[in-house]
Amino acid sequence: MAVDTLLMTVLVLIYLGATLVIGYIGYKQTKNTEDYLVAGRNSHPFVIALSYGATFISTSAIIGFGGAAANLGMGVIWLTVLNIGVGILLAFVLFGKKTREIGQRVKAVTFPDLMCKIYKSPLLQYISGFIIVISMPLYTAAILIGGARFIEPTLNLPYTSALLIFAVITALYVVFGGIIAVMYTDAFQGTIMLIGMTLLLVLTYLAIGGVTAGNTALTNMADLVPKALASQGMTGWTSVPELGSPIWFTLVTTIVLGVGIGVLAQPQLVVRFMTAKDNRSLNRAVLVGGPFILMMTGVAFTVGALTNVYFYQHSGQIAIDAAGGNVDAVMPLFINLAMPDIFVVIFMLTLLSAAMSTLSALYHAMGTALTVDLWGRGRECALSLRSNQYGIILMMIVSTLLAFVLPISIIARATAMFMGLCAAAFLPAFAVGVYAKVPSTRAAIASMLSGAVTWFFWTAFVHTAEAKPLGLCQYIFGKPVLLPLPWSVIDPLVIALPVSFVVMCVLQWQAGKHPAPGTVAA
Amino acid sequence: MLVFGIPDPQIWIGYLLALGFTLACIVYGFMNWNRGGANDGS
Repeated sequence: MAVDTLLMTVLVLIYLGATLVIGYIGYKQTKNTEDYLVAGRNSHPFVIALSYGATFISTSAIIGFGGAAANLGMGVIWLTVLNIGVGILLAFVLFGKKTREIGQRVKAVTFPDLMCKIYKSPLLQYISGFIIVISMPLYTAAILIGGARFIEPTLNLPYTSALLIFAVITALYVVFGGIIAVMYTDAFQGTIMLIGMTLLLVLTYLAIGGVTAGNTALTNMADLVPKALASQGMTGWTSVPELGSPIWFTLVTTIVLGVGIGVLAQPQLVVRFMTAKDNRSLNRAVLVGGPFILMMTGVAFTVGALTNVYFYQHSGQIAIDAAGGNVDAVMPLFINLAMPDIFVVIFMLTLLSAAMSTLSALYHAMGTALTVDLWGRGRECALSLRSNQYGIILMMIVSTLLAFVLPISIIARATAMFMGLCAAAFLPAFAVGVYAKVPSTRAAIASMLSGAVTWFFWTAFVHTAEAKPLGLCQYIFGKPVLLPLPWSVIDPLVIALPVSFVVMCVLQWQAGKHPAPGTVAA
Repeated sequence: MLVFGIPDPQIWIGYLLALGFTLACIVYGFMNWNRGGANDGS
């Protein structure tokens, strides 16, 4: 790589120094546990918006889903539609305000704590805390891999060192500064991401001859779609796959719906609503959040697909072949080959920012779930700063170890898995909890368990993409999956969410008809 | 019909919707800029 190592090192050190200084400011402003967990419920709208957006968008979105767009084409743009329409508009307007109001009233400090206090059920806190502690390391590991994968060639570091340095530096300011440090650094990192992604879009179109010329070149490459993909329904990079084909199901159910809906009930994002002082802060945050997400995922997916044009013009190969078959390697390779040296540095900082902002939020959410909601629940240590710091360190170690054992091309899939599980387990109970006058505890527990169990069953025994490498179905039943096409390509979310939703609605309706003695509206 | 070199309406409609939702976020933020404050009673 031709980038001046000295320049790269200096800029990365300046970035890390600035991040740590901002983290230190957050640390100084953290006076008590409420500050550490929910930023004293007094965050600025700009900080909320950028923190929410930067947490939402990780290396998974840029590296993993950018690579997925290189493989599957521009149809991934429908995920951006849901990211903005559902992930920002619906999330802030329908759920954000209610979550903030209730969270402030019942003094909830984590997502499981919120569920416990809404439903007056410690069991719900245990269940949701357990799901977070079990599933979030997978997503965290995927983000660590995405960051390390880019740092490795760019800074010429061994992969193991890149991953470890990355994990430890991020944990440093989370452990000491809590969520104020996390959100302040998120805002700083979000600003860098905005600059980086804007430049990426402009420079990519310049590199392939302009908007219309570049898109037309991609359209004209339709006959280069690999036979394996064409036989499964792929028709080109500027068209949606054949309706009902395996690739269409993967695109629509796993990528678009799995991630697009999954975002609504992610614990680390729900907590952001509880840091707002009032609804005005959330209204203002919407204005910043929408354009931010457009410039993140919209650009990543567009550029991802267009990398095919660049690689074909320069090496006669499509992107996935140029990257040696590794979807996760497409975007880093494209940046390193196609962009000016200075942009490689800027994009390096953009990726570091994307990864660190999401990582820090996940460390915080996992660590506090372990401490407040599981180990320390009902005990004094639940709200002790020191205990929460230990919880964060422990979960950081677990997710780092997991990152070493996950297979290649895992980033986008692990992200979709985590978001799918969150939506299937949490979304119906969360939605009813913040809106129903008398939410039924029995309905919420049944919905959460049925969503999580159905999701796990479909993942381990039906959905080929996970069931086959997992091998559990093969071991028990002697075949890789239990059901044939098209079931085996339908994402677990598409099955599990309706199940948990129906269970929630039926039991909530029953509870409304036969209220338990002494039940009163919340 | 090619729109900016993209032949499939399912793709360029996706782009239009993404831009439309972004615009909706901006309009919503401006329209409600001062609503929902701690002292305005809403």
